[in-house]
Amino acid sequence: MKLKSGQKPHRRRTAGAFILSVSIPLFGGLASTADVAGVEPLRTVQQQIDKIKNDEAAEHRRLQQDERVIQQLEQQLRQQQSRPGALAIQADAVDVTELKADTAQLQQIQKQLTTSISDEQFGSAMSRYLGAHQFTWNGAVAGSFIYDRGNNTNTFALTFEPLVLYRLNDWISFEGELEAALPQGTDAKFGLPIAMFQLFLNDYLQLNAGLFDQPFGDWYEAQSTLWVNRFITAPLLYGAEAIVPSSELGLQLRGGLQWGALGQDIDYTTWVANGPGFDSALPQPVVGQTLNPVNNIQVNTNGKAFGTRIRFYPFPLDSNLGRLELGASTYDGKWLNGNWFKSWGVDYAYLNGNLQTRGEYAQTYRQMPAGAGADNRQGWYLQLGYFLQSIALPQLPLELDRHIHNLELLARYSGVNQHAVVADEISNVPELGSSGSTSIFAPHSREIALGIDYWIEPSIVWQTELDIELPRAGGTLFSFNGARSPTASPIGATSNDHAILTQLAIGF
Amino acid sequence: MIIAISAVVLASGSLIPTAPAAEQAAQRQQLIEGAHLWSIYCNQCHNARPGSEFSPAQWDAITMHMKTLSNMPAKDMRAIKAFLEFGH
Repeated sequence: MKLKSGQKPHRRRTAGAFILSVSIPLFGGLASTADVAGVEPLRTVQQQIDKIKNDEAAEHRRLQQDERVIQQLEQQLRQQQSRPGALAIQADAVDVTELKADTAQLQQIQKQLTTSISDEQFGSAMSRYLGAHQFTWNGAVAGSFIYDRGNNTNTFALTFEPLVLYRLNDWISFEGELEAALPQGTDAKFGLPIAMFQLFLNDYLQLNAGLFDQPFGDWYEAQSTLWVNRFITAPLLYGAEAIVPSSELGLQLRGGLQWGALGQDIDYTTWVANGPGFDSALPQPVVGQTLNPVNNIQVNTNGKAFGTRIRFYPFPLDSNLGRLELGASTYDGKWLNGNWFKSWGVDYAYLNGNLQTRGEYAQTYRQMPAGAGADNRQGWYLQLGYFLQSIALPQLPLELDRHIHNLELLARYSGVNQHAVVADEISNVPELGSSGSTSIFAPHSREIALGIDYWIEPSIVWQTELDIELPRAGGTLFSFNGARSPTASPIGATSNDHAILTQLAIGF
Repeated sequence: MIIAISAVVLASGSLIPTAPAAEQAAQRQQLIEGAHLWSIYCNQCHNARPGSEFSPAQWDAITMHMKTLSNMPAKDMRAIKAFLEFGH
């Protein structure tokens, strides 16, 4: 392209010189003729020659201008052609710089990991980050569906029980539990079952102070939690007509020790608290009235109660006899000025592989005012459960086999004996943990509960329970019905009843 | 349970390498005992929950709660706690 553009002006210059060289001798020959013909024709020729020279000069300037433009374009072209290469080189240089920086940083991290941070140091750093005070949430939530045939009621129910655990150090902690439920109506109700400080004084002695689950038997402390209870309902002696109060406000001393081989333990709990109280909504005390779940402020200095519980574990773990727990509890206090409330109970729990069973018997004595007859009560339950996780079912499809291994079959028999019940306290409203069956409130209530638990996780369970209520005849029904004194009427045979409950419980 | 104890036995061979031999053996014994106790003591009342469900800091608080309810000997609770926190 360069060569072609340069050839054309060169040929023009050559042609111009040729014309000029030919014209001069020609015009020289013509001059002698002009002498003859005159000066005017020579002047015309000279003007033409001047014009040709001017044209030639102008052409020469244009050629030079074109060459400059061509040179400029060629230079720009070279610059354009060389630019991508420069950019690429520049980008490569940047990449190399960044790579070097990354490599240096990586080497620094590797050096820190290999030379300066051990597991202990990392753990220590995490501990410092988390802080010395530890605060965690546990608890449970459960939703259930309840159907009772006798009352022809069915409902959904929900309870949420968050448990707050706070650990200050190895020997001081606090725990508090809130309870939120949705009773009949349109609003929630809230409770405070536990709020207790704990001081671990040494390996054998612990001091607790505050509001705590009654350490009488195993039920309130160890078995009443939603996901821990194998059933949806409580055994009758801890249900609607409980025979000992569920909570206490006071002080505890407790501890345990190993008396023989590993697994052979003995432990104790002893406590002093505000003591029992009975339904204060009634105009006057009456046999069969229900216990208050807890007594708050008590100004009566005679009202304190004292309790003791001892558990004994006879089998060493290596004996392969399973884990047997034998327990005994007492709980005595004055519920009204000088009137006594006394109770005692024995219980057991046994675990061996997939079999677990537990049971309890308890009885109470309540001294009534004004020489009235004693308010004695007895209650018991016997519970049996078997986990199907080791049942071999090779003939079933694998998926079905897996589900069956998550099942636990359960049966429980429980009952309560008491002289009377109070009509004003009978509630037919179902709620979580109770079918609301009227038969539960019979003075001689009996219940067979059959259950199937499907364990989704160790603390998540879908439970289904069939309650068969078989109350016995006898006893008295007291009814205030707005009056200051109750009217008594004998209770004859009470109808049997059935209830079905199903529940999803989650422990977290 | 046997699997849990076996895993602890195998894994505890790589316990803190800087600990003296006697201390290392004691820690290993504690872990084995903890695995054994965990499967029985916890199941006595409820299904035993694996250590991976909570962080060591949470287990510190939870085991104090369980110590209160169970009244189990303190050394047994320390063994169970060591087992639950092992491997975090």
